[in-house]
Amino acid sequence: MKRQNVRTLALIICTFTYLIVGAAIFDALESREETTKRNELDQKKAKLLKTFNLSTEDFDELEKVVLELKPHKAGVQWKFAGSFYFAITVITTIGYGHAAPSTNGGKVFCMLYALLGIPLTLVMFQSVGERINTFVRYLLHRLKKCLGMRRTEVSMVNMVIIGFISCMSTLCVGAVAFSYFEGWSFFHAYYYCFITLTTIGFGDYVALQSKQALQTKPEYVAFSFIYILTGLAVIGAFLNLAVLRFMTMNAEDEKRDAEQRALLAHNGQAGGHIHCSADQASSSSTPSGCGGGNAVGGSGGGAASRSLRNVYAEVLHFQSMCSCLWYKSREKLQYSIPMIIPRDLSSSDTYMEQGEAFSNPLHSNGCVCSLQHNSGISSVSTGLHSINNYRRLNKRRSSI
Amino acid sequence: MKKQNVRTLSLILCMFSYLLVGAAVFDALESETESSRRRILELKRNEMKKKYRFSEHDYREIERVVLQAEPHRAGRQWKFAGSFYFAITVITTIGYGHAAPGTDAGKVFCMFYAVLGIPLTLVMFQSLGERMNTFVRYLLHKVKQCLGCRRTEVSMENMVLVGFLSCIGTLCVGAAAFSHFEGWSFFHAYYYCFITLTTIGFGDFVALQKKEDLQEKTPYVAFSFMYILVGLTVIGAFLNLVVLRFLTMNTEDERRDAQERASLKRDRGFLSRGLRRERNRSRSHSTLFLPMEEGTSCTNLIASPAEDPERQRRTGAREGNMWRVMLFFVMVIYLFTESQLKINTGSIYMICTSRECFEMWRLK
Repeated sequence: MKRQNVRTLALIICTFTYLIVGAAIFDALESREETTKRNELDQKKAKLLKTFNLSTEDFDELEKVVLELKPHKAGVQWKFAGSFYFAITVITTIGYGHAAPSTNGGKVFCMLYALLGIPLTLVMFQSVGERINTFVRYLLHRLKKCLGMRRTEVSMVNMVIIGFISCMSTLCVGAVAFSYFEGWSFFHAYYYCFITLTTIGFGDYVALQSKQALQTKPEYVAFSFIYILTGLAVIGAFLNLAVLRFMTMNAEDEKRDAEQRALLAHNGQAGGHIHCSADQASSSSTPSGCGGGNAVGGSGGGAASRSLRNVYAEVLHFQSMCSCLWYKSREKLQYSIPMIIPRDLSSSDTYMEQGEAFSNPLHSNGCVCSLQHNSGISSVSTGLHSINNYRRLNKRRSSI
Repeated sequence: MKKQNVRTLSLILCMFSYLLVGAAVFDALESETESSRRRILELKRNEMKKKYRFSEHDYREIERVVLQAEPHRAGRQWKFAGSFYFAITVITTIGYGHAAPGTDAGKVFCMFYAVLGIPLTLVMFQSLGERMNTFVRYLLHKVKQCLGCRRTEVSMENMVLVGFLSCIGTLCVGAAAFSHFEGWSFFHAYYYCFITLTTIGFGDFVALQKKEDLQEKTPYVAFSFMYILVGLTVIGAFLNLVVLRFLTMNTEDERRDAQERASLKRDRGFLSRGLRRERNRSRSHSTLFLPMEEGTSCTNLIASPAEDPERQRRTGAREGNMWRVMLFFVMVIYLFTESQLKINTGSIYMICTSRECFEMWRLK
C-alpha cells in the first residue's frame, strides 16, 4: 500500500490508542477524588438547606443567580482591556471561556473574527518562530566559533535542545510571575502557563481575574498580554523546528510519487524528448523538479530508450552514491546546501551527441525540464527541489 | 531587507491591528449588555438575600458551595467516558474546562499527556486531511471527466470551494444534531460546533453535560466523539489545503537564500581555466556536483545573475516606502490604543511638535 496511506492509518491508530490510554489513566487518577468531593458537597448543601430552611426550588434559584453572577465576580470583562484579552483568547484558540459573548451579535462577530484571525495568527507565529530559530542558529554558530570548537556547524540536536530549554524557561518565568501576582502556588502557576501556551486553555485558572486587575493594574495587564504572545512565539518556534516537517510529509511524498509517475509514463517514448507533464491532478504550488532527477529504471523497448535507460541507471547509481554521502554529511552542511542537479554532464553530453533538442514544455505549474534557457537560479532551485525530493526519498528509506 | 524579515514584521503588525480592531468591536457589542445584566443579577441577589435573611457571610458560604459544586452538576465527569472526553479536549487543544484535573497528580499527568499528544494529533490531522484532499481531488477529476468537461484538471479554486463547502456542511450537520440532542437553538448549536472545531473551546456550551448523558446515552456519546474528531479532520484538510503552505514560506525563502549565497560563493571561487573552458562549452547545461565538506564544494558552472545597480536602486526605494508604511501603521495602532484606554501619553503632541520642527528644519 502507498506509504502515505500506511502512515496515515498508523497515525490514526496511534491517536486512538493514546486517547484510550489517557482516558484510563485520568479515570484512575481523578474518579475517586471526584466521588469524595461530590459527596462532601452534597452534605454541605443538605446542611445549608437545613440551616436556612430553604426548599430545593429556592436553592436552585439561588444556584442559578450565583452561577450567572460568576463571570461578573471577576470584574468588568468587556471594557477595552477585557475585550483585548478576549480577542487574544479567540485568535490564539486558547479560549478560556472566562468571558464568552452573551449577545447573538457578539457570537456572530466572534465566529467571523476567528475565521480570519486564526489562520493569520498561525502564520504569524510560525513566521516569527522561524525567525527566532534562524537567529538562534546564527548565535550558536558564532558561539561555537568563539569557543574555538572544531565543528562550528549547528546540528539539529543542538537546536532541539536549545528550543526545549527555552520553552521550559518561558514556562518557569511565567510561573514565577503569575504565582506572585495571582497568589497561586508555583505549581499551579506553572500548570496555568502550560495550559495557556499549549492553547488548551481550560479556564480553571485564568490570569487578570482577581481584584479588578483588568481595569486597575495596566502594567500587569500589559505584562500578561506580552507574556502570552511571546510565550506562544517561543512554543511556535519549537513546533516550527520539530513538528512542521512532519505535517508536510504526506504532501511531499505525494509530489514525489507524481514525479515518478510522470517520469515512468514518458520513459517509453522516443529518446531525447522528455516532457514534464507533472500530474495535473496533484497540483501543488511549488514547481516540481522533473527530469532525470528521480530517474528510475524505465520500461519500454527500443534502442533509444534502452540507451536512455542506461544513462538513467548511471545517473541513479551516481546520485544514490552522492545522496548517501549527502545524507551522512547533511548535518554538517547547514549553511551550504549542496546542489546536486540531476542532469549530469554525461547525460547532457549524450543528448548533445544525439543531437536531440529538448523541448521546453513550461507548464503552468512551473515544471522546467529543458536544459536550455536556464537562468542560474531557476535551474538551481529546480534541481534543489528534485534533490529535496530525492533527499526525502532517501530519508524515508532509512526512517521507515 | 530580507523578504522573510519584512514578511514577519508585517504579520506582527497585522496581528496587533487585528487584535485592536477586534477588542474595540467586542467592547462595543458586549459592554452594554454586560453592565445591564450585572445590574439585574445584583438586584436579584439582593432581593434573595433579603427574602431569606442572609447575612453577607451566609451568602458567601452558599456561593462557595454552589461554585464548587458546579462541575458536578453535569454528572460524573471522570468515569471512562468522561475521561475520554477530557482526553480529547486536551490533545486537540479544545480545552473546554468543563472538567479540569482537580488532583495535583492529574495536573502533572495532564501536562505530560499534552506534550506528547498535541504534536501527535497535529500530525495525524494534517496527514489524514492531506489524504482526504487527494481523494477529493481524484473524485472531482472523475466527476469532471464524467460530466464531459473540456478541462478535467482540478484547479486550486475548485479544491478551495469544495473544502469550504464541506466545512460549512460539517458545521450545519453538527448544529442540527446538537440542537436536537441538547435542546439548544440551531444558532447556539452552530456556534458550539464552530467554537469546538476551531479548537477555541470556550466551554460556555459543552455537549454531553445534561444529567448523566455521559454515562447513559452511549450512542450519543459515541456520535459526539466521532463528530468532534471527523469535524477536526475536515477543518484540518481545509487548513492543509490553504494555510500550510504559508507556514513554511519563511523556511523555504531561507533555504533559497542559502542556495544563492552558496552559488555566489562558488562562482567567485574556484574558477580554474579548465572549468571555465567547460563552462563556455556547456553554458546552458547544468552539471552535477559532488557533495563535499562545507566550503569545498564544486564550482557552480551556472552563471548567477549579475548585480544590477538599477535593480538595487529600485529595491532601495521600495524598502524606504515599506518602512514608512509600517511606521504609519505603528503610529495608528498606538494612537488607537491610547484613545481606547482613555490615556494620554502626549504622543499626539510629540508627533505634532516633531513635524513642525522637521518642517522648520527643512525650510532652513
